[in-house]
Amino acid sequence: MKIALVGNPNVGKSTVFNALTGSNQQVGNWAGKTVERKSGIIQRATQEIELVDLPGTYSLTAYSQEEIITREYILREKPDVVMAMVDASNIERNLYLVLQVLELAPRVVVGLNMMDLAQTTGITIQTAELASALNVPVVEIVAAKGKGIEEFLTEAIRVGELEQDPLPIKVSYPDELEQRIQAMEALLVGTAWAAKYPLRWLALKRLERDPEIGQEWKISPALSRKSKNNDSCCDPGDAVNYELQEVAVLPGEELLRAYEAEGWSKDHFEMAFADAKYKYISQILPRFRSHENLTKPTWTDLLDGWILSPIWGYPIMLVVLAVVFWGSFVASAPIGGAVSQAMAWAADVLVRLLQWGHAPDFVQSLVRDGIFAGVGAVLAFVPQIAIFFAFFSFLQDSGYLARAAFLGDRFMQLMGLHGKSFFSLVSGFGCNVPGIMATRTLEDPKDRLITMLINPLIPCVPRLGVMSAVVAAFFPGSRGSVVMLSLLLISMILVMFSALFLRRVVKQTERSAFVMELPLYHIPTLRNVLIPTWQKTYSFLKRAWTFILVASIVVWVLSSYPQGVPMSATWAGKMGGWLAFIGGPLGFDWRIMVAIVFGFTAKETTLSTLGILYGVAADASQSIAQAMTGAMTPLRAYTFLVVYMLYIPCLASVITTYKESGSLGWTSFGVAYNLILSFAMGWIVFHGGLALGFQ
Amino acid sequence: MERFLGDLKPGERACVEHIKGGGALRRRMMDMGIVPGVELEVVRCAPWGGPLQVRLKGYYLAMRRGECAKIIVTGSHQEPIEHLLASR
Repeated sequence: MKIALVGNPNVGKSTVFNALTGSNQQVGNWAGKTVERKSGIIQRATQEIELVDLPGTYSLTAYSQEEIITREYILREKPDVVMAMVDASNIERNLYLVLQVLELAPRVVVGLNMMDLAQTTGITIQTAELASALNVPVVEIVAAKGKGIEEFLTEAIRVGELEQDPLPIKVSYPDELEQRIQAMEALLVGTAWAAKYPLRWLALKRLERDPEIGQEWKISPALSRKSKNNDSCCDPGDAVNYELQEVAVLPGEELLRAYEAEGWSKDHFEMAFADAKYKYISQILPRFRSHENLTKPTWTDLLDGWILSPIWGYPIMLVVLAVVFWGSFVASAPIGGAVSQAMAWAADVLVRLLQWGHAPDFVQSLVRDGIFAGVGAVLAFVPQIAIFFAFFSFLQDSGYLARAAFLGDRFMQLMGLHGKSFFSLVSGFGCNVPGIMATRTLEDPKDRLITMLINPLIPCVPRLGVMSAVVAAFFPGSRGSVVMLSLLLISMILVMFSALFLRRVVKQTERSAFVMELPLYHIPTLRNVLIPTWQKTYSFLKRAWTFILVASIVVWVLSSYPQGVPMSATWAGKMGGWLAFIGGPLGFDWRIMVAIVFGFTAKETTLSTLGILYGVAADASQSIAQAMTGAMTPLRAYTFLVVYMLYIPCLASVITTYKESGSLGWTSFGVAYNLILSFAMGWIVFHGGLALGFQ
Repeated sequence: MERFLGDLKPGERACVEHIKGGGALRRRMMDMGIVPGVELEVVRCAPWGGPLQVRLKGYYLAMRRGECAKIIVTGSHQEPIEHLLASR
């Protein structure tokens, strides 16, 4: 049996899904989309049930990706039952989606969640009355406490096993609309389409001139991909692809034209249908909802009084961000350190084993300096990413993230971006990988892409570390902070400029609407925080490790062959020599170019690379930077800092961009854009500095 | 005189009369429950011309001023009314 879980965002859908499927989850993307697809298998009695968690959506029209996915799934895969989750505290708008679902799929069970929250706001819902008003079963649940979830599923199975489709209520449309719908129904009733879809829905969509109507789709399971990858977690993509078979023109064209002449265009119909549905809801509402006026303000009101306040809102946001940053990037340092130590220890053990087995020197070096050193450098960042995602899930689930978007929207407007981009960009200061991953909350794909592509321009913690070491060596004292600030200013100006520029590149003509729900605050369940954290971390590791391994080996080979020669004669050194023509105009010598090339894998290694190149042993970053002062003028160092700050942060961020955008083209574009921009900026700074007489 | 949602001060309520324009924005507003006749209350505004927090049908919505300027409202009043909104 196939069951689909449908509902508005923030109704607790994922809580129910996580409770029912536990660890039997498949997470991937919907085919061709960058929206998460979650499904799971449940065993109940004799039944094997495939539960699909459809993305949270407000409507079943075809505008946002989430809506399209939900609608296509119900239309094309025809789940046996739809479990519709409803937020009792916000039942009017939630029922709007339920009415749309009822027009499309007759077997629906409503799960009424957040009754406790509704009661705190003075709302009481009579479940039995609601069930009779809609003529579908309604189950009360308290998802956060795990109550009623099993009953919800049992009811869904019962409905799925019914011999005949139940008859849910029909929305009563006003007479002038009803006549037109019936006229269209009369034209459609004999066609093959009427056998496939509910007649009423077909007529409504035909009046709206919905393109999907009349399209025949074939479901082709992408077997090759599925069999190659039967991992229990983190499926690379959807198991199902749709193929367009044929497009038929449905009858009713003349009628539609006649209506248009009367002023009933498709937009007019859409509006009228939505209006009628809301009117219908307000008609039936008094039958099951009663409310009393509470004098006491709710928790959400109290919290919003502070969190969204013009005076306290920003300081509170700073504190929240500081806690997230401290927790993810500072407090996690010992764990990261432990990971690198464990890697070093493992490398030692392995090397000793190799020595004992008389393995040749180059194998030992490959294991210790190549594989373990390179992979360890990246693995040390995994705790950061995991902790960051735990915070992120918590903030998102609790309702704070929407508030941060509300407060940050003003700044994002300047760049033509959505308020939700704010958190992603701010996260970039910690690490660009979770920053890019955090773009998932953006609904508009173009907004997402722009935010993803500009994120690398924001210097992350490791880069800031290297930068401050270099700044401290070249610009001692208070000059250093001015230099550092100027660098951050350059980064911010370029982020803004790039956002505006990329809007033209991705041809975003219409700014996406900022009409965002501010959900009631609630405390997320532990499971809802931990499951996504685990999935994100695991999928990052799974995707990144091969790339990182290969890159580590390549770097090792380039920098250690031919063996026994000084650094400048190794392949890496020669490469630096060839690349000097790019670096030359910026005043870079071959060493800087080598460090830049090797910075691709992970930028925090740049200092140690420079250390080796300048002949300074040990990893003391200060001494390395000091050694550089002898070889470079301050202007060259500044140019280096600008280029260093702006070019691709690391291999992991490139892989993440590829995974999140799903497009090799845009990933390459992003890499090229970063490189060109950073070197162009470097050139401007270097020659501008020379012209102004700096040295 | 036409009044827009963006003209309301925090704490003021008004009913939607008409939504200007069309396309995705209007559809989005419809999906969120902004249809003619619905009562809206401006709760607060973010500083420096940021978005507005709006209450309708018992929940909160954030909308930019540009979007609020597309919603024409009537009959703004401040006294509490017998409606669910008053309770929250």
